[in-house]
Amino acid sequence: MASIVRARGLTKRYPGVTALDAVDLDLPAGRVGLVGANGAGKTTLFRLLLGLSRPDAGTVDVCGIPVADDPIGVRSLIGYMPEHDCLPLDQTAADVVATFGELGGLPVRAARQRASEVLDLVGLDEARFRPVGGFSTGMRQRTKLAQAIVADPKLVLLDEPTAGLDPSGREEMLALVDRLGSFGIAVILATHLLDDVARVCDHVVMLDGGRLVTDSPTQTLLHQTGTVTVDVGPAAAQALAAALTARGLAVTTDDTITLEVTVSGDEDLDTIRDVVADLELPLHRLTNRLTSLDDVFVHQAPTP
Amino acid sequence: MSTPASTGAVYDRGYRPYDGPRGGRRAATAALYRTSLRRAIGLRRPWRQKVAPAALLAIAVIPAVVNVGVGYLTRDTPAEGFQFITYREYLGVSSALLLFVALVAPELLCPDRRQRVLPLIFARPLTGRDYALAKIGAIFTCVFAFSYLPQVVLYVGQMLVSDGALDYLTDNTAVLWQVPVAAALLALFYAVLGVAVASLTGRRMVAGATLLGITLVSSTVAGILVGAAGEGPVDDGDPAALLNILALPLQVRDLVFLGHIHEDSALSGLSGGGGMALACYTAVVLTCIAVVLSRYRSVEQ
Repeated sequence: MASIVRARGLTKRYPGVTALDAVDLDLPAGRVGLVGANGAGKTTLFRLLLGLSRPDAGTVDVCGIPVADDPIGVRSLIGYMPEHDCLPLDQTAADVVATFGELGGLPVRAARQRASEVLDLVGLDEARFRPVGGFSTGMRQRTKLAQAIVADPKLVLLDEPTAGLDPSGREEMLALVDRLGSFGIAVILATHLLDDVARVCDHVVMLDGGRLVTDSPTQTLLHQTGTVTVDVGPAAAQALAAALTARGLAVTTDDTITLEVTVSGDEDLDTIRDVVADLELPLHRLTNRLTSLDDVFVHQAPTP
Repeated sequence: MSTPASTGAVYDRGYRPYDGPRGGRRAATAALYRTSLRRAIGLRRPWRQKVAPAALLAIAVIPAVVNVGVGYLTRDTPAEGFQFITYREYLGVSSALLLFVALVAPELLCPDRRQRVLPLIFARPLTGRDYALAKIGAIFTCVFAFSYLPQVVLYVGQMLVSDGALDYLTDNTAVLWQVPVAAALLALFYAVLGVAVASLTGRRMVAGATLLGITLVSSTVAGILVGAAGEGPVDDGDPAALLNILALPLQVRDLVFLGHIHEDSALSGLSGGGGMALACYTAVVLTCIAVVLSRYRSVEQ
């Protein structure tokens, strides 16, 4: 698959700090999570992709176009949703989104038409003629997403799209981000919430202190750990733990409901099945425990 | 056969890719210009935002209409001492224009900076130069229109009131280029000055007050210096009058209409006064453009 973003030796320094340090990237079209703590270099990378900042060394191409040669051409292919508040508060959502559609190169009528469509898509169809200043945080985030996709970009850069949202708002925003991939729009989702990335992204890039930690498909990071999670309900958990321990298996539990059992092969899985059957317990769940992105980040990020 | 109403369904219309025509940098700049122009004249805005442009239009046009009306009513019995306002004099309604620019320029620029809209704008296919061009262009268009429109009223009115419309036209061909050129120079001066001041702050009140303050202080200082010099034996023009920023476009206007500084000007009689006024006008315009470009060369996130 052709890379949507390709960087070689990308370096950006500010006085007293190296924001990006010789970063090589090959990001596929799809949903890419850009993960890192505050100051990791996420926003700097976005500025370099948009051509708003020049690298001190290295090159970066977006959609096959060298950003240094044609920043305007690159920007016409990109939608951008900043983390911070950035909307004109005294304008209606329809006017804001249509204006940014026009600024993205759409003719006036097409911009208004598409503004209506994308506001409908993000769930703001009934609020589109209200001033943005009266919107909740969730509605403003949706408006920001709408303006980012109104001009039908090839790539959309989302900087902390779930920041400040309540749980239901976060779920809805992640669902929208998830859908963007099916629309043929490549997504780079910058966040420090690893769970968001694990849920919606096919590819993960981790930055730490301006250095690249990981650039891999999400599935290869979430590998099996040799541990299975067993759920037989809270009432029987302790009895099962005792029985499995008696059969020589290592059992740990961090709550009263699920057990984590270390297994070395199919024989151990058969043992778990047999013990559950012998005790006549209801087996609610038996799954491989996967490494979380938090584990990957903690283990792979360089120690300061 | 029609579908029964009870079987209605909600459809997810999904996302439709756009495959129509798409403009580039020029289209983006034009879009920003249109948006700014709409904002300046209050279109798609609350009624409060429409007051300033409507008031300026009234202030600019009503005297011309009244002048033409009086001229028409007294065309057979000319009123004692009545004269049509000259085109040159009419381009001197600069106080109202200045007030308009002090309201509109901050309105067009300050919210973009204060509400942090600039990073969004500059993520589109345009540059800081395009942004400055669009904002200056929008204010230029307003000021030019509000300066030029009453001149058209005056010209057409005088042509109709005169004994022979065709004769009036042929006798006054010079104003056909003088008026638009002088109005354009006036509009350019106010537009770049207003945008330069408004680009320095995110607060509208501060920007508006600063613009008015600069013009007020410069005219006061120039007045004091010229007045002090006038007490001595020298009664020629005084170069201190060039410090009056508000008067610079009017002196350039005089150069366009008369070819020299008007006798009423404090510069009148000063050798090379016209050239000095033109040089100061150019210097102010270029300085303002440099300030604006430097402010939008890089974007703050």
